[in-house]
Amino acid sequence: MTQQSEWEPKLLGFLCRWCSYAGADLAGTSRKKYPANIRAIKVPCSSRVDSLFIIKALRLGFDGVLVSGCHPGDCHYLTGNYRARRRIAITKKFLEYLGVEPERIQASWVSASEGGKFAEVVTEVTGDLKKVGPNQLFAERKLAKEN
Amino acid sequence: MEQKLRQEAKALLEQNKVDWIIGFEPGSLKFTATPLITRDKNDTERLIINPFIVNNLADFLTGIKGRVGIVAKGCDSRSIVSLIQDNKVAREDIVILAVPCLGLIDLAKIERLVDKDRDELDDITREEDKVIIKVDGQKKEFAINQTLFDHCIACELPTPQEYDILLGEPRPPAPELEVSGQNIEKLKETTPGERWEFWQNEFSRCIRCYACRNACPACFCQRCFVEETEPQWVMPVPRWQDNLIFQVVRNIHVAGRCTDCGECERVCPVNIPLRSLTREMYDIVDELFQFKSGMDKEAQPLMTHYEQEEAEDLFR
Ligand code: SF4
Ligand code: SF4
Ligand code: FES
Repeated sequence: MTQQSEWEPKLLGFLCRWCSYAGADLAGTSRKKYPANIRAIKVPCSSRVDSLFIIKALRLGFDGVLVSGCHPGDCHYLTGNYRARRRIAITKKFLEYLGVEPERIQASWVSASEGGKFAEVVTEVTGDLKKVGPNQLFAERKLAKEN
Repeated sequence: MEQKLRQEAKALLEQNKVDWIIGFEPGSLKFTATPLITRDKNDTERLIINPFIVNNLADFLTGIKGRVGIVAKGCDSRSIVSLIQDNKVAREDIVILAVPCLGLIDLAKIERLVDKDRDELDDITREEDKVIIKVDGQKKEFAINQTLFDHCIACELPTPQEYDILLGEPRPPAPELEVSGQNIEKLKETTPGERWEFWQNEFSRCIRCYACRNACPACFCQRCFVEETEPQWVMPVPRWQDNLIFQVVRNIHVAGRCTDCGECERVCPVNIPLRSLTREMYDIVDELFQFKSGMDKEAQPLMTHYEQEEAEDLFR
């Protein structure tokens, strides 16, 4: 029971190195407060994120995944984030159809100068994940029922 | 139609317009056809067209070198177009022998209708809108749609749009999309938890034979992510978790190239309703990006293209 009340969601963030990762850095250096629930992985571009990464993260027990890149039009590689947008959109919709709560798959555009926005996004996403609760998707069936 | 096909195929080989012919010949079991891949003009005598030519022959195109004459139903032609879009085959290297398709007969449905094994049936004949089954000296008649594969009932393109030689009268599409979506609609009425449990159950049967992937013309990677070991994305042991991940990621990877031809579902030895995944992805892609796989060879592949403004509501 104590576990329940103390439960904190684990969020995996794939942050593009040119914008969102720098945005996260800025949030830190400008002492913006945001929940410590996110573990960040630096990726060259949001388009580096194969849907496989997202699903694997859920399989490994992360409660949610956030992919964040440069704003449309600002991708360092010009069109990477447009392609990422298509891929993330179908991944989210498809997983939702399969029964994955949509809150678990999140995406945002955060530029290098948007430290404040980064903090907001992480706060909001963490809040969403607290609402949907722990990720039991890949737990063995018995476990899923007992809880 | 069959005669015309044999003549055309023979002529193509004789005139050295193609190196290979890919078509169908009678299978070794009753009511089956099997792919025929040949460079010998005499083999063209064995080519057939009937309601049992179920395979999607486009699957063979990526494994063959040289110019190919290929027999294509509407669905096959869409897979071919999709391969052309992806630069996997060159349009000028293939001659499409187009079959206006009346729909393919699903033997599993027939078995259920007459409550007999396929081996016990004497004959199955298809007429314009009905199917006649001879069994135990009796004739039984069924409406055509009772006997066809679901994906044939929902077919949006019975006659290839892209072809070189048309083998018969073109047939207008008359898709009954509801038939295809029945299972999906039911699933959508359930809660996310129930849906997940449904798929969990289905994929606990998967034996990871990869028949679905191997039969799929859109799955042409030299090395599939399931075989990668550094990192090992999925475990080789067929546990439901990894089975499900395999299939979900496969569906995402073929999005915009999967034409919902139904091959994966047909070949699955444990009857997992894979079309309830492919159809949904097909619809998601159409809804979000107004893209229908394999319809237009000039269209940019789904995943290499974008519009400035789209799907923005999913982003913060
Ligand atoms: S064909 Fe069926 S059993 Fe074989 S790998 Fe695909 S889903 Fe699994
Ligand atoms: S995923 Fe299945 S339905 Fe889609 S093209 Fe491949 S075999 Fe056909
Ligand atoms: S470099 Fe940031 S999204 Fe492409």
